[in-house]
Amino acid sequence: MKSMYKRLIIYVFIFLCVGVSVFFVNNNYQFYDRPIAQVTEVVLEKTTPMSDRNGNKDLLYNQQLTAVMKNGTEKGQVIQLTNEYSASGAYDQEYYVGNDLFVIPDKTMDPSGNLTGIITDVKRDKQALIIGWIFIFALLIVGKRQGLFAIISFAINVIILSVALDIYVKYPSLNLLVICGICMLLFTVISLGFVSGFTGKTYAAIIATLVGTTASIAIALLVLRLTSDNGLRYEEMQFITRPYRLVFIGGLFIGSLGAIMDIAITLSSSMFALYEKDHTLSMKALRDSGMDIGRDIMGTITNILFLAYICGSLPMLVLSFKNGTPLGFTFSMNLSLEVTRALVGGIGIVLTIPIGVYTSIFFINRKKARI
Amino acid sequence: MNAIVVLSVVLLGLMLLIGGRKGLRSFFSLFLNFGVIFITLALLLNPDLNPVILTFIASALIGCISLFFINEVNSKTVIAFISTMITITLLLAFIFFVSNTLMIQGFGEEETEAISGYSLYIGIDFLKIGVSVIILSTIGAIMDVAISIASSMFEMNKHNPSVSKKELFASGMSIGRDILGTDTNTLFFAFFGGYLALLIWFKDLTYSIGEIVNSKIFSSELMLILCAGTGIALVIPITSWINANYLKKPGKMKSDS
Repeated sequence: MKSMYKRLIIYVFIFLCVGVSVFFVNNNYQFYDRPIAQVTEVVLEKTTPMSDRNGNKDLLYNQQLTAVMKNGTEKGQVIQLTNEYSASGAYDQEYYVGNDLFVIPDKTMDPSGNLTGIITDVKRDKQALIIGWIFIFALLIVGKRQGLFAIISFAINVIILSVALDIYVKYPSLNLLVICGICMLLFTVISLGFVSGFTGKTYAAIIATLVGTTASIAIALLVLRLTSDNGLRYEEMQFITRPYRLVFIGGLFIGSLGAIMDIAITLSSSMFALYEKDHTLSMKALRDSGMDIGRDIMGTITNILFLAYICGSLPMLVLSFKNGTPLGFTFSMNLSLEVTRALVGGIGIVLTIPIGVYTSIFFINRKKARI
Repeated sequence: MNAIVVLSVVLLGLMLLIGGRKGLRSFFSLFLNFGVIFITLALLLNPDLNPVILTFIASALIGCISLFFINEVNSKTVIAFISTMITITLLLAFIFFVSNTLMIQGFGEEETEAISGYSLYIGIDFLKIGVSVIILSTIGAIMDVAISIASSMFEMNKHNPSVSKKELFASGMSIGRDILGTDTNTLFFAFFGGYLALLIWFKDLTYSIGEIVNSKIFSSELMLILCAGTGIALVIPITSWINANYLKKPGKMKSDS
């Protein structure tokens, strides 16, 4: 009876969270400084086939939008907007009735007394929220407790990273790598602690992760120094407001951490499980099966990392090739950093296997000595 | 000396040292997957081919490499493969819907510098390219979950043949739950690390929360993470269900041992 009651409270609470958040993002126009208009009518004016200087064929469309201002001093007024977009939509977008757009209204009105203006961006928070909830529900329904823990540890990690970057931006004298190192420590302890509780196997995994990541970064730094960064095209890094090399290496720290944690916890929990099953198992047998497990998962986890990094560049590669850029230049400009990230991650993964096996054995021995 | 070449040699050396033959295989599978991505890329440049169908075929190929080449063809890997493809199909529909409503295809305002000088009217639907990116970025993790669940369920059925279908399904779900957290973590941190520069940029240019949430580039990164997590969650019940039904198929007990 009591558990049913408790469950009901949880359901009501989640339902309320969803309701309140959805209501909020649908009515938060007044919290924005930028003027927002909601599209009420769309007329497709004309369609022009075109082809660019490389012979690529595309279609250009011209839309006439009627929208209503949702905030600011012009609230409630009708605004006329025009939108030009292409069928490929690399940097433009077709708009539909109901879309919320950020606009800049002109000072002057058109002859019929309506506002005119230009579109600057789309308001995406409503849709993002819904998808966020779908993600949370998928994890909760399938993962139950572990799903909840995954969400919580993810949220905490995001907060840590955000606070750490705030500190970094506020105190420029601090070294980004030191900050990333501290973040790494916190991320590891929190994520692994949440995934499997604070027991011997988690401690073993935490130590293996920290040692493995540090070792792989050390190798990466050594190689980069010996080759004086040859082959790395830092020009491809976008969004750069800081020394690019430092930011890239900071990213290396964080990027491979998840994969290394994955391998460390898999190794330590299976080795602890083997030990629990059979206390008489020799250390050599334990080490061999640990190495075996490591060999089995090494390939898959490296592949996860490779695919995750490389595929992010596909849109840029497509654009670049379609503009007739030479093959070698396109690849080195768009993939060198991603491939480096993936390789360093892979080195970290492989190194963590023996490190994880030996730390697990160390902790198992300690446990044995205590009995 | 080229840093990438040196790092590749270091990786190959370590994989050989620690993994032996299996390490060599793992290293080689990275190259094969690279090859699949590049062929997919070459085909994506043809405006007459549908990027979504290409992605589906590429996923199947990557699945074959990771499941049948690193492991081998047996009922475990076949089931993991089928489950992965079903999940990918469902996820494709979901991502299509997501990208369309969020309008996150192509490049964001923050990327104008990188795309300046290029003609943007190249006749290839960037919405579909965006869908391909999300699917191909997450397929590795989805497959990993599928194969882990399939092998553990086979082991359980082997050691304990009297286990019921329902128990088998439950055990698959519970194994899935254990890896759900670590696999989503792997992807989260990979994306965080890749976008550290963007996050610092947001902080340096003092973007407000409203500006960050609504910007195209952030939304698309967020969607990548959320869709990856949803995909990993989705593959767990699918694999458990297919596997439980396969292992407890009436009249199958004797033929498979």
